[in-house]
Amino acid sequence: MVELKNVSVTYSNGVDALNDVSLRINDGEFAFVVGKSGAGKSTLIRLLLQEIEPTSGKITVNGFNLSKLKKNKAHKLRRTIGFVFQDFKLIDTMNVYDNVAFVLRSIDAPIKYIRNRVPYVISLVGLKDKAKAFPHELSGGEQQRVALARALVNDPQLIIADEPTGNLDPTNKIEILELLKAINSCGTTVMVVTHEHELVQYFGGRTISITDGRITFDDYIG
Amino acid sequence: MKISSMNYLFKQGMRNVWTNRIMSVASLCILSVSLLLIGFTLLFVANINRFVNGIENKNEVVIFIEDGTDETEISAMENTIRNINNVENVTFYSKEQALEDMKNDMENENAEDLFSYVGEENPLPDAFRLRIADIEKISPTLMEINRLDKIDSIKSPTDFINILTGLKNFIGIISLVILAALILVSLVIISNASRASVDIRKREIAIMKLVGATNSFIKIPFFVEGMFIGVLSGVLASAITCIGYNELIKVLSQDMTVWSIMSVNGFIPLNEFMWTLILGYIAAGAVISAFGTVMSTRKYLKV
Repeated sequence: MVELKNVSVTYSNGVDALNDVSLRINDGEFAFVVGKSGAGKSTLIRLLLQEIEPTSGKITVNGFNLSKLKKNKAHKLRRTIGFVFQDFKLIDTMNVYDNVAFVLRSIDAPIKYIRNRVPYVISLVGLKDKAKAFPHELSGGEQQRVALARALVNDPQLIIADEPTGNLDPTNKIEILELLKAINSCGTTVMVVTHEHELVQYFGGRTISITDGRITFDDYIG
Repeated sequence: MKISSMNYLFKQGMRNVWTNRIMSVASLCILSVSLLLIGFTLLFVANINRFVNGIENKNEVVIFIEDGTDETEISAMENTIRNINNVENVTFYSKEQALEDMKNDMENENAEDLFSYVGEENPLPDAFRLRIADIEKISPTLMEINRLDKIDSIKSPTDFINILTGLKNFIGIISLVILAALILVSLVIISNASRASVDIRKREIAIMKLVGATNSFIKIPFFVEGMFIGVLSGVLASAITCIGYNELIKVLSQDMTVWSIMSVNGFIPLNEFMWTLILGYIAAGAVISAFGTVMSTRKYLKV
């Protein structure tokens, strides 16, 4: 569950990135967050990751009160969230298997569990035959699937996808969003941040629109 | 942390050495050169100290005894001198022995003529030869000896010792300054090298943080990697120093005449310091490199 109460963010250069934003995304929901460049979408994600702190307001993510969560405990929050980024953010020196397994290794998961879970998740995203490939040997769509597998592997409560289709061709865009929808149907909360209105229209569902740091629309479409 | 995780992180660190091999080789070279510079400076200073100590040890104070002093009095004087602080050892040097040595030293034809003039009468005095423990405190020791009865005169290399002590102190200070400067410069260069090696992986560190890895989980492979490069640098520097020093000594020792004039008996043999050097190099390399690398990751762990 994600909840923001009267959250504002003003950067040190005086720019108001978010202005009195209140928002709640319940467990198991699928929500699009849309807005133009500079609207405040990235600031919202950085807040949820605890990369930055709000100037005012309260944020709760998966039961963590972020104003009370110390910086050196941020990993506890991040382990409950799966991230998917526009630029995939895969570790170039690791193959597909190791990129996905890294998440489980970092939480000290048993080797047996890693050996079972990682191939399963990789096959879920359709990359069974590419487990030993390195990121530079994969297409954009395949890299995004690896990122999805990595986000899924730890069975997170919430998946945040920041422009997950930004670098993909139309077919891959649809496939990635269908995968996210499938993940959501299993009970995981999914928040997709995008500026591609056509995709939102195509899939429909809860859509939150941010303009100049304020929520200007929050309803179901399609 | 589980043993399996430690095992994984160790392997990851070793793999990083190979994956980032260009930076690894660069770090290895920089660290080895730094260790070599410090090591050779230390060896140079140690050899200089050995030379100075060798010259110092050759100092000898000779106390001439008044003519007509009997054996009992000489024996009592010897005991008194032996009990004076800072006197390392005392040897009685009889006038007969002195004459004999003098004859042996003058091995030419004129010497026999000279000694024939002397006849049966031995003009040389009895004496004590003594060695001073702490050469810097020679003056008060000589003053104390001078207070004894039956002393004709004292011959001591006081001026030379003063120069030598000054030289030793000067070398000590200069070598400390050079070493401190070298260590400082090396640390700056090494920290820049490790920072550069970590810099190219800042993206990797940021991703690890985002997927929930703890700081220690991220740091351990860097620590292993830094330590491995450090140990390797230590081994490389040891090999170069041992081979280089041995060859240098061989070349310098080809003609010992020049060194003998300077009262140099020989250089510090390799086996006298080899293991200390190897262990020192490896320990210094490992510690500097491992901690340097880990410290460089710090700013990227604040994400």
